[in-house]
Amino acid sequence: MDRRTYLGTVGIAGLSSGAGCLGEALRGDTGNPDTVLGPPEQDLSEATHPSYGEEFPAISLPDPLTGETISTDQFEGDRTVLMTLFYTMCPDGVCPQLILRLRRAQAVAAEEGYGDDAAFLAMTFDPERDGEDELRTFADQQGVNLDAGNWHFLRPTEYETGKEIVSEDLGLPFKKEFDNEYEELEYTFPHYPYIFLVNEGGFVERTYPRGSTMEISRLVDDFETVVTG
Amino acid sequence: MRRRDVLAGIGSVGVIGGAGALAIRGPPSFDDGTEETEPTADPLVIETVDAPGSEARDVRIPASDRATFLDFFGTWCGPCKEQMPALVEANDRIGDEVRFISVTNEAVGRSVTREELADWWRKYDGNWLLGIDPTAELSAEYSIGGVPYAVAIDSSGRVQWSEAGRKSADELVAGIERALETGETDGGDG
Repeated sequence: MDRRTYLGTVGIAGLSSGAGCLGEALRGDTGNPDTVLGPPEQDLSEATHPSYGEEFPAISLPDPLTGETISTDQFEGDRTVLMTLFYTMCPDGVCPQLILRLRRAQAVAAEEGYGDDAAFLAMTFDPERDGEDELRTFADQQGVNLDAGNWHFLRPTEYETGKEIVSEDLGLPFKKEFDNEYEELEYTFPHYPYIFLVNEGGFVERTYPRGSTMEISRLVDDFETVVTG
Repeated sequence: MRRRDVLAGIGSVGVIGGAGALAIRGPPSFDDGTEETEPTADPLVIETVDAPGSEARDVRIPASDRATFLDFFGTWCGPCKEQMPALVEANDRIGDEVRFISVTNEAVGRSVTREELADWWRKYDGNWLLGIDPTAELSAEYSIGGVPYAVAIDSSGRVQWSEAGRKSADELVAGIERALETGETDGGDG
């Protein structure tokens, strides 16, 4: 996918100017009763997607590996959530980097004993190609721990459902691109490498627009602070 | 400061989507007044594939007995094609002195087959180790934000040079030489 083009279309304030974000905002004492973390250094409150301090939308989708329907709001009062969006045919290495960040957080959660207070949600927007078997194979290859019981793949039964969730509930630009440069792929999904961190109360603690390249330690630290906060 | 160099490098190519977290090798240490030293990278085992100059096996990155040069690329990436002639030249000039390897983190076996990867390699005259990183572990270790991305690691495992975007053969060789020089003078203290 041509990043130049698709970044060029982003209307999100400050997306490109945050390249030098080096610090973290103060934690804790924020005046925001709904969050554990303080405001992020990069203010994304004008963005179309859920951002800091906002209620995360309720998204309800089947997990084909467990046969359950998973709703993001079922974790309220129970688990802190990391959620990302991906598809297994993702050609440019971005999706494995997103999945890697969630599974690193999952591994730390297991080590530190808060795995039961955490949920890791990876939503595919490619239900046509990402069936149960593909997702299971992908999970094995990528080193996801499915046995921990806290990882869910979310798979819309139809492409249109997923599209609606991504573009309307999550407010992220999204399209199915047939005109791509990959011989193997009939279509791709140029998309933004987002990771959402949602606290037990259902409020967004962090929206990471560059989830695939963000420092892993920062994600893990933020997550741990929220889970244990 | 190194971090600024890295970010400037990104700015100059302008295509590295979301490269905000590229700043990578950790903050410089100023505490004792000495020069910052690069942290030692954790060794990882990478699968290499059958292709000119490469065969299917496992390779340790970084090498334990010499410097390593890593080129991250993708077959889908236009600038990576343009990068190949300079890599060919750099490999001709200095490839014998280091573990010289190109690695893609694209979905080999899904979005691109191994045959297509090898075809791409042949087409652009690759003739050195060709590795894959389907789980993005190596990419994460070196915090690459986009491709092409070059990393030179000395024989004691310290990253001595890294740069995003397209480089000339001279720039590649100069980067690799930094890892060679440091390895010689600095290798014993690890």
